[in-house]
Amino acid sequence: MKFYAGGHLTFYMPGRRHSLEIALPQPAPLREVLTQLGIPLPEVALTAVNGELVEAETVMVRDEDVVKVFSAVNGG
Amino acid sequence: MYATTAKILRVDLTTGRIETQTLSEDFYRMYPGGKALAGYILLTELPPHTDPFAPENVLVFANGLLTGAPVSTATRYVVSARSPLTGGYGESEAGGFWGPELKMAGWEAIVVKGKAPKPVYLWVNGDQVEIRSAEHLWGKFTAEVHEEIRRELGDDKIRVLQIGPAGEKLVRFAGITNELRHFNGRNGLGAVMGSKNLRAIAVRGSQRYQNLAYDAKTLMGIGGKLAKTVKENPLSWDLQQRGTPGLVEPLNTGGILPTRNFLQGAFENVDKVKWEAYEREIFTASRTCYACAVRCKREVKVDGRESPYGGPEYETVGAFGPNCGISDLQAIAKANELCNAYMLDSISCGGTIAFAMECFEHGLLTLEDTGGIELRFGNAEAMLKVIELIGRREGIGDLLAEGSKRAAEKIGGDAPYFAMQVKGQELAMHEPRGKYNVGIGYAISEIGADHLVVAHDTAFAKPEAIQLKSAAPLGITQALPPRSLGEEKMEMFYILEKWGSLEKVTGFCFFGPAPRSFIPPEDVLQAMNAATGWNLTMDEALTIGERATSLARLFNAREGFTRKDDTLPERLFTGLENGALQGQAMPRKEFEEALTILYQKKGWDPRTGIPTPEKLRQLGLEWAVSVVSEQLSVNSQQ
Repeated sequence: MKFYAGGHLTFYMPGRRHSLEIALPQPAPLREVLTQLGIPLPEVALTAVNGELVEAETVMVRDEDVVKVFSAVNGG
Repeated sequence: MYATTAKILRVDLTTGRIETQTLSEDFYRMYPGGKALAGYILLTELPPHTDPFAPENVLVFANGLLTGAPVSTATRYVVSARSPLTGGYGESEAGGFWGPELKMAGWEAIVVKGKAPKPVYLWVNGDQVEIRSAEHLWGKFTAEVHEEIRRELGDDKIRVLQIGPAGEKLVRFAGITNELRHFNGRNGLGAVMGSKNLRAIAVRGSQRYQNLAYDAKTLMGIGGKLAKTVKENPLSWDLQQRGTPGLVEPLNTGGILPTRNFLQGAFENVDKVKWEAYEREIFTASRTCYACAVRCKREVKVDGRESPYGGPEYETVGAFGPNCGISDLQAIAKANELCNAYMLDSISCGGTIAFAMECFEHGLLTLEDTGGIELRFGNAEAMLKVIELIGRREGIGDLLAEGSKRAAEKIGGDAPYFAMQVKGQELAMHEPRGKYNVGIGYAISEIGADHLVVAHDTAFAKPEAIQLKSAAPLGITQALPPRSLGEEKMEMFYILEKWGSLEKVTGFCFFGPAPRSFIPPEDVLQAMNAATGWNLTMDEALTIGERATSLARLFNAREGFTRKDDTLPERLFTGLENGALQGQAMPRKEFEEALTILYQKKGWDPRTGIPTPEKLRQLGLEWAVSVVSEQLSVNSQQ
């Protein structure tokens, strides 16, 4: 799975890198992936799987997916 | 009296008279700098209905209470005058180095009146002040003038604030720059400077803020702690890593990236303009403002060389990129450079060009009007040509230099519908149909559409999110959906607006205090008290913010603005064409009801949107009651 964490979610990523390749032998709840990466679920405001907006709390992800999560973005 | 030099420099360019005004502590406690001080001066010294370009317009440069303090993000000053873009209270803040240098030179503010017979610049060297000829600088780009003034005065540490050729030509959205990278962009205040034949204000000082503080040790302790926090807080860390261009992709994903003059909320070529592309193609280094550890400013390459003007912020990327349908990042960087060389507000400039593109697409502007330029969405070359024409007020640029509202009135037909503006000022690159409080802010802001009135709704959507939790000391604890209005949302808005206004009084950047960023509200309050010795409570601090907003509101009421001006472009009440929020519109009925609720909370007459006498007395603005009621009576008879 190609995983991207944007906004201030990058802060929580291993090595503070915005992108990672994650091997998923079988479909998994995204919330478990986020927990393993150390990304707090309440900080996830937007989630897109293969370009479609989904709910991070409930979506299942697969090895071939492109997953992007973003924090709440503000002005300025 | 602490925290302030208590001195205002007053310059009359008609007579050449230079005077010093001394402030009392009682006065400064009511109007402690920035927006509050500027609002007081404008309301008490500027006659109603003064032509913004007349010598009688009053131009104020006012430092915030903490501007120049050794605290990250406390760098900003306000420029204020009657706006030639809106006809109302004009205001724009900038960070950088000029404000702190002015404080070090011993001045809280500069008030400029009159008009010089020939182009001049002001040289403020501590308490030595001189009006010097700028005839040799007139017509030149800002980078050249910046170097020439420093060379002429023989000191490369002089901080230079200036307008560019656009301000000289009275472009209604001409801005002001300091150090070529920091901008009082909004409201056309550069044109007010130009109307006074004032090209620049060079400043050099030698004092230190710490020597003015009541408790310098505590103040420096707060500053030191916050500087360490920057890298440990996710919000400030992100600003440091990406700067504001990091907003592009998440806004697009959420369907709230203004695209093609706000027709759409998502841009099909976002990958070409998002942060990773920016970083790869044009980014060279990070920079910062005075004493700020955040370092959110970007440096870029343009035309294969290092730009002297810094890199485009998100607003500029959005305005010249997706909102004009353009995905050429080099062209966007070039547009940023042109705006800064001519010194145009990139938001209003991009917004006005997007408006013109839509007019062209609909046949309201023709090749004959544009001088042969195919001014269509996506045409980067046309965009760059038109920026220069605006900066010089030539050809189609002369019409567009009036801003989208005035240009639309001249073009006629459906053109006013395409002008995405409030009170004459173009919308910033934030889509209210996905964050309703941004729409309320656009509508009620005294300066026209402004995105920095309140922290945006998205920060408060989830109960456990750090931004919502950080707002608890302000009294905000309840998560509310971004696309919601009503009683609780307006209470949130009311508090956030007072807090945002306080930032403009104290000189804090929007990227400093929580909930937008990393500085806890308690630390803001503690820094204010360490600086002043006033021992303010949070409620008292918020009242300072509310008082400042009320002064600006009164200014506009005197100019004839009422509730009918607190609205949004008609397009926003229709559905977005694409993106995650396709079909979503600002709900008109709920929007109007929310305004009524908000006015009542703020102590404004819900029919007129004007502060009531009771509210003014509550804010300690008894003196303004008669001033305003007299003028309102005159207005009603006209």
